[in-house]
Amino acid sequence: MPEDNVLIPANMNDGFPIQIPDRLPVHIDPCPIVQAIFETRFVSPQPWATMPGLLFAEIREEYPEQKTLPMAQLPEDLRRQDPTLLILPLIQFLSDNFLIQLGPRVVSLATKPNAYPGWSAIEQELKWLVDRLKAAGFVGETERLSSRYIDFFDGDIFTGLRLGLQIDDKPLRGTQTDVTTFLRRGALSIRLQVTNGAIVAAKDGPASGSVLDVDAWFASMDADLFGNGLVRFAEAHQAIKGLFFGLIKPELLSKLNPAYE
Amino acid sequence: MTTLSLAAKSSAYSLAEGLREPAAASSIRRGAPDEWAREELLLRKLGPKGWGRVYQFRNYYEPGWGEKGRVLSPRALDAFFRFLEEATFAAGRTGPSVFLTDRGGIELCWEDPNGKSVQVEFTTTGAEFYKAATDEEGAVAFERLAPLARRLSG
Repeated sequence: MPEDNVLIPANMNDGFPIQIPDRLPVHIDPCPIVQAIFETRFVSPQPWATMPGLLFAEIREEYPEQKTLPMAQLPEDLRRQDPTLLILPLIQFLSDNFLIQLGPRVVSLATKPNAYPGWSAIEQELKWLVDRLKAAGFVGETERLSSRYIDFFDGDIFTGLRLGLQIDDKPLRGTQTDVTTFLRRGALSIRLQVTNGAIVAAKDGPASGSVLDVDAWFASMDADLFGNGLVRFAEAHQAIKGLFFGLIKPELLSKLNPAYE
Repeated sequence: MTTLSLAAKSSAYSLAEGLREPAAASSIRRGAPDEWAREELLLRKLGPKGWGRVYQFRNYYEPGWGEKGRVLSPRALDAFFRFLEEATFAAGRTGPSVFLTDRGGIELCWEDPNGKSVQVEFTTTGAEFYKAATDEEGAVAFERLAPLARRLSG
């Protein structure tokens, strides 16, 4: 079984392309987080048809509402032919503050859009959900365990980031740009996506601007939902937080009014 | 619009028109960023046939296959990839072959430079191996995968 030891190097700046600040803010305002998703991919000896019922029986008091997602309308044979479809959720369970999403090989806890409740509330909900999943009994071996944060900014985020696209050594500005890269930091894999051409559902309706999307995950040998799962979620969250503050320039940070402990 | 659609694309935003997917090109397959390194490793070490077999094992073997309805173990697959990273297979011999095992593991078989077979089965707890040249067999935990790969394939 995977150990609970920390698998992220203490000095993460060794070989990691992003310089992480020593001190990280505990609060920023305005908060750019659109949504945070904490996902486990798994294998199960149970058929898909039984999973929603098993989970709902455990969570119905807190998540009374459920919604079938459009992907569920696709025939199973079709979903099986595309690996990217296999790991998508088919049903959502809703509470006041969170969503639980379930598919044949995935379960996730997501915050409500534009209503980030803070890490301590998330940690508490994750603990509760992991206990409920254990009781439901259909989650087998963990395949992948991840934290993902999606942030939205007005305007062109590339002017505020230490990341960008250059042509002939000159920054590319004023044009739609989409950058995706994959980084490793110890046992943690990180997919970083940035675009300045996004349209996001904001509180006041659709808004155009930029998105910074970071997904950080542990592979199967390093993660076990019912063993070290909560520790791994927290490590991935902390890594994303460090990466975020390592990526943004001081001018952008000051606009976010950071508060430190 | 009050909420974000996570269902269709597992993403909470949509790209503006100019950034959407270009026309499909059947001759180019772009790997997902998180999978590209592993797919490249498979192609390099096992060739197109091995790559194709692992792709099939990963995506088309649902619960119900194997003993007691077991599916391919993600942990065994992860161990298999970490072993492959360290392994070096002799050129000129028959390429390594890969199999699913009845207990949900994955097995790698190849010939050493003298044409003797080497087999390693990756399971949920580690790897079991057999080397015909020395009639040696044994089992190792995940932490010992890298030295085992170097010793068996070197």
